[in-house]
Amino acid sequence: MTWLRGYAVLYLLFLYAPIILLPIFAFNDSTIIAFPLSGFTTQWFSEIPNTPALVKSVQTSVIIALTTAVLSTTLGICAARAGAKYTFPLKAPILGFIMLPLVLPEIIVAVSMLVVLLALGLPLGSWTVVLGHTLICTPFCIAILNSAFANLDPSLEEAAIDLGETRASTFRLITLPLVMPGIIAAMLISFTISLDEFIIAFFLTGTEPTLPVYLWGQLRFPQKIPVVMALGTILVVLSIILLILAEMARRRGLHRTGTQDSGGFL
Amino acid sequence: MTAIVSLKDVQKYYGTYHALRGVTLDIAQGEFFSLLGPSGCGKTTLLRTIAGFEDISEGTLILSGQNMADVPANKRPTNMVFQSYAIFPHLSVGENVAFGLRKRSDLNTKEKAALVQDALEMVGLVGFEKRAAHALSGGQRQRVALARALILKPKVLLLDEPLSALDKKMRDQMQNELRQLQRHVGITFILVTHDQEEALIMSDRIAVMFDGEIAQLADPQTLYRRPISRRVADFIGVMNFLPANASGNKIDIPGLGAATLTPEQCPGGTPSGPCTIGIRPETMSILFGTEPAPARETNGTVHELAYYGDMTYYDIALPGVEKPVTLSMKNLVGRRVLERGESTRISWDDRALVAFAD
Amino acid sequence: MFRNSQTARGLTLIAPPALYALLLLAVPLLAIFAFSFWSQDFLTIDYTPTLNNYREALSEPLYTELMMRSVLIAGAVTVATVLLAFPIAYFVSFHVPQSRKSLWIFLITIPFWTSYLIRVFLWKVILGYNGVLNSSLLSIGIIDEPLTFILYNANAVVITLAHAFAPFAILPIFVSLEKIDRSLLEASRDLGENHVMTFLRVTLPLAVPGVVAATLIVFIPTIGDYVTPRLVGGPNGLMIANMIQTQFLKLNNAPMGAALAVIAMAIVTVIALFFIFLNRRWLKGRNS
Repeated sequence: MTWLRGYAVLYLLFLYAPIILLPIFAFNDSTIIAFPLSGFTTQWFSEIPNTPALVKSVQTSVIIALTTAVLSTTLGICAARAGAKYTFPLKAPILGFIMLPLVLPEIIVAVSMLVVLLALGLPLGSWTVVLGHTLICTPFCIAILNSAFANLDPSLEEAAIDLGETRASTFRLITLPLVMPGIIAAMLISFTISLDEFIIAFFLTGTEPTLPVYLWGQLRFPQKIPVVMALGTILVVLSIILLILAEMARRRGLHRTGTQDSGGFL
Repeated sequence: MTAIVSLKDVQKYYGTYHALRGVTLDIAQGEFFSLLGPSGCGKTTLLRTIAGFEDISEGTLILSGQNMADVPANKRPTNMVFQSYAIFPHLSVGENVAFGLRKRSDLNTKEKAALVQDALEMVGLVGFEKRAAHALSGGQRQRVALARALILKPKVLLLDEPLSALDKKMRDQMQNELRQLQRHVGITFILVTHDQEEALIMSDRIAVMFDGEIAQLADPQTLYRRPISRRVADFIGVMNFLPANASGNKIDIPGLGAATLTPEQCPGGTPSGPCTIGIRPETMSILFGTEPAPARETNGTVHELAYYGDMTYYDIALPGVEKPVTLSMKNLVGRRVLERGESTRISWDDRALVAFAD
Repeated sequence: MFRNSQTARGLTLIAPPALYALLLLAVPLLAIFAFSFWSQDFLTIDYTPTLNNYREALSEPLYTELMMRSVLIAGAVTVATVLLAFPIAYFVSFHVPQSRKSLWIFLITIPFWTSYLIRVFLWKVILGYNGVLNSSLLSIGIIDEPLTFILYNANAVVITLAHAFAPFAILPIFVSLEKIDRSLLEASRDLGENHVMTFLRVTLPLAVPGVVAATLIVFIPTIGDYVTPRLVGGPNGLMIANMIQTQFLKLNNAPMGAALAVIAMAIVTVIALFFIFLNRRWLKGRNS
């Protein structure tokens, strides 16, 4: 099966082609993004902190992403817990509806929310972006937390109650520690999605653009591109670190509950 | 008998499914009691209603003199050993055992540690308190689960198929240990099992359950020797069933001839007309050569045999009986193993017969 | 511990996410639906119900062409992505040792988590007239002049989206391949089939649910993609999402945009249902 291995390597090359180019152009001493390279520079990196609009957009995005992560993980915990432990009328349709944003083109989520917000006369701003991002991140959180809650042996909670704990203290002492890796993974993933999301932010942002919206504006100006490349490089490194952390958290969770590793996040 | 657990006409419905159909039961203080039955018979449901994990649809449950209707699981004087053991994977062995002591404000840290030590010693796990829970073997997990439950000195310890996850050797050993432990602590144990042998070995009394009802409640010997129905007899060990015909206390058994049965040989009531006679394989034997029969005897042919090493099981075809009867012989020194097709004499004792109404 | 209180607990827990989805998804979707039957003159909305938006959307060549193109591009992206992804999923599932599988899956998902916008832009850099691909090919002498059919057209959109949605296609196929009991393959070989026939008669049929899932997961977001057509599609690579955006933000014709959004959703739903139906039929045929 050597040809299959060869194909796999070529495919990985295809997957990584853009990401490999990113640092190359970020350190390239030219405003033209093309080969041949002209020389090495760290100028574009040092320009990042000196571009106030860029710094501001990073701040805006981080605040939005943090808020989104907390909100969507909280909603995800509720839904995953309800789905794993309880039966109630219309369970499947309700859960299906909450997962719907996963299969809805983002442009539709964006315009429909925009229409309602404008009709209600509400001002657009970071909070409207948070609302939209929480909507699309919650299904991802649920998908991750579902497996965390499903891996939880229900007799562990019963054992705690049997040993005298209340429902609330059982959740605190047993459930929460055991699903914590799932919670961390869900927060990291929703943070990453929110940080990178463009369409909804593009439609719902107010006067303070998020980072992707800011970048979108910069892509039209060739002289700004190298700085974008530098920033992109930093973002790639950061998201790889975040992903590794999330994966480690997930594995620790599997290890703790003693279950077998069964693949990645999705 | 002072009942520590008392159930009266307990009913349990899951929607339209009737899981417990009027269970009435008294369990004495210090008793080793087993709930035995096939899967889906309601034995686990019954155990979980005692623990408080399931509510009772109708009827009453009294534990140690107190009605449990409004008492939640965490306030009941029961503790449970779960089928999966439910060892908290994020806590060490010591933390697991100490788990239930958290709210005991009457104890200081030192006293709690001493209790944990005692509990670990009781189950033979001294020196394991720092061990991570997932680094334990099946037998060790079970011991942790036992220590964790017994440290709270419950009035009743509930065990949900605690040995089913262990291999045969370990299971035999734990059966012994559990029995000794129960005698040592003197706490009432209620064991749920589908393994009839396990129930016979360990219990003072056994309730056999079918379809949400108690079919028979008796001590192991009575249960084995005098099963109340053909279904119970079939579930506990091996029994031959022969069609027969009863008139008065005389029973005519094709293949074995006529016999007179005492009332206690008819635990389900004295039958009349067509009925079934049961006899256990080990109460019959093969007569070698001209050996005189200790009781009654008849002639037959070896239809099939299975050699088990210590025992040989023979299926003996009897004239006038459709199905061969099974009997077992110990493979004593010098005792021959018969061959298929060989003619032989077999003997039995009428006192071993049990009659069931059809 | 009573059953009705179990139900109450479940409902209490599900209420926050359900209400959230109701307020921020159901209400807006209904609003879009309502909007599509209204009309807008400059900045005032006329609430008289009308089918004019739909009539225009379905008769005006500009719109119908865009919709056709969106479906065709999304279809091409889906076919390309799934075809390219299957061998990878197969390779990782069948030819990578168990201990290294999660590393491979991890490697495959990493590019997906890096800025989408920048990735699309970099494809523009790769595929451009003076881009990485053309300059490399020129320098090794494979071509004499730069290729022009790979940027600012539908091809560029297909290549870029096939890259962007690769993990979405690989993961479901991988999961379905992982579920296949390996002794089935040995049984097929034992019964006299060679590797190729075993693949065709056992592996492939059992992987169908994964392929269907991959198809849907790629197709649905692709048909509504905005960034890629704008950045690398050129005038002939634009798709329905670009028009919806234009209607809402540039032409101030929200009702028309709403009608286009509803039509896009309808197309997605019909195609998705078709595939789900196919999958059901397939599973049913196998089980009976």
